[in-house]
Amino acid sequence: MSVAASSALKRSGSRLVLNVVCWTAVLGTSFPLFWMISTSLKPDNELFLRPPTLLPLKPTLEHYVRLLSDTPFPSYFRNSLVVATATTLIVLLVATFGAYSLTRFRYPGRRLFARFTLFTYLLPSVVLVLPLYLTLAWFHLANSLLGLVITHVSFGLPFALWLLRSYMVTIPADLDAAARIDGASRLGSFIDVIVPQALPGLISTSLFIFIASWNEYLYALVLISRDDIKTLPIGMITMLTSSFDVEWSQLMAGSVMMTVPLIIAFTFLQRQMTQGLGVGVKG
Amino acid sequence: MRLVAKDHWLGAALISPSILLFALLIVYPLGFSLWLSFTSVNTITQQGAYVGVANYRSLLADPEFLSALINNFVWTGGTLFFQMLFGVGMALILHERILFRPVARSLLLFPYLLPTVVVVLVWRWLLNDLYGAITYAASAWGGFNVDWLGQIPEAMITVVAIGTWKYFPFVFLAVSARLQTIPEVLYEAARLDGAGAWSRFWDVTFPQLRGVIAAVVLLRAIWDFKEFDLLYMMTGGGPANSTETLPLMVYKAAFGQLAMGRAAAAAIAMLAVMLVLMSLYFVGYGREQDEA
Repeated sequence: MSVAASSALKRSGSRLVLNVVCWTAVLGTSFPLFWMISTSLKPDNELFLRPPTLLPLKPTLEHYVRLLSDTPFPSYFRNSLVVATATTLIVLLVATFGAYSLTRFRYPGRRLFARFTLFTYLLPSVVLVLPLYLTLAWFHLANSLLGLVITHVSFGLPFALWLLRSYMVTIPADLDAAARIDGASRLGSFIDVIVPQALPGLISTSLFIFIASWNEYLYALVLISRDDIKTLPIGMITMLTSSFDVEWSQLMAGSVMMTVPLIIAFTFLQRQMTQGLGVGVKG
Repeated sequence: MRLVAKDHWLGAALISPSILLFALLIVYPLGFSLWLSFTSVNTITQQGAYVGVANYRSLLADPEFLSALINNFVWTGGTLFFQMLFGVGMALILHERILFRPVARSLLLFPYLLPTVVVVLVWRWLLNDLYGAITYAASAWGGFNVDWLGQIPEAMITVVAIGTWKYFPFVFLAVSARLQTIPEVLYEAARLDGAGAWSRFWDVTFPQLRGVIAAVVLLRAIWDFKEFDLLYMMTGGGPANSTETLPLMVYKAAFGQLAMGRAAAAAIAMLAVMLVLMSLYFVGYGREQDEA
């Protein structure tokens, strides 16, 4: 065998090993997801088979149907939708104007404030939850969705300001300057130039805020005790701990349904993911 | 951008709602927390007296606080180490030509995208003592029966493993993105100089990754240190407080023992530890945020 052929063989051999190692790790990592979906489709009598079956022998949607008709799940889902939507709208409105001001005007304290947004983004919420709880309880807002939205704004706003600011910095200032020379007002150039340019940033920022609010657990745990206004994270834990006989396939069906909106959001976010998740990570 | 003097009021008007909300939702609560830590306020009655540094003094003598601090470091150090190991490892492997690479990439990201409550439900089902798939596999194939969450130190090992599973995709993503920006010329130059695969990694890839790795370590250390959801839902701090970290202790003090003052003192102490990590991050990476 020639030297070239043997080294080519060696290379394809190590390529094979690399592929096997990689896909073993990937499949191992994805197993819990596969198991979540598989369990949610198994009829009750299959759930407790030993050894467990990998795929449902007789796939059924009964758990999804019962989840939607016999449990408070739809109400949890609706509450989460309301809170996440309200939080996103408030945060986006305030942060868009704020980020525009931070990137297009010059005034004392501007840089300090920008730094402060980064600091608050890293701040632990257990520090803020104590005073926020006392304050909201004082105003009789502790056990309400409005109170929960207020606390969600506290982490959504710094994040949105930071993200939007980094998007708006990249829009050339010449663009709105040109619009203004053509006679547009500040606000006019903001609406006609900045908003369309920043639209991808606005969309991905709102998705990130929506997701963060949708997943939020600590504030909901502290604030909400009435079952009819529970959001999904605390509601699903209630379903786990309050039932005498835990219905795992129903909980897995709920997990799938709670994840679906996120998957839809993330397919839109694919491009921005590396920038958004790795904010501040530039090497 | 040139500014016209009459525009100043507009800039101020546009930023004022943000500043107002920051003042109400972050600055005021931070001050309130600090003040609470010097009082004996009860969570329900909201009544209490000024007690000076008594809360801090009793924390330092409190074995629960010390064990929570140690648990916090064990959890953070353990899960961070494995997150970096798998994250960087998988990024390097997937930088090679792998079959169905885009599919593999998306599958790896999934754990990071799942809500924590879903992660907890799925893992509690996988580790269920009677019918869990992993429990079954461990006993049928490995011949050992493990009480994953009910024993010391098994519970801590289990949550560290689940934390690794959930958060390594962040490391993977950041390192992958950086790898793609390393110019191919650098590798060609190294190859011309006769560098082997190993030396290409240490002399070309690694120096290019150092920055992103340092940033990711700091960012993940900060986030892991303050993790509440995963630990609280997985174990509630048990068994026997062996997985109780500072955030869990703060929550229990405030809403279990109704001792706001004690909880606030623990929270401020925790923040003090985190400030070290945060200032390191600021020194290295906050500055470029100013270049606007």
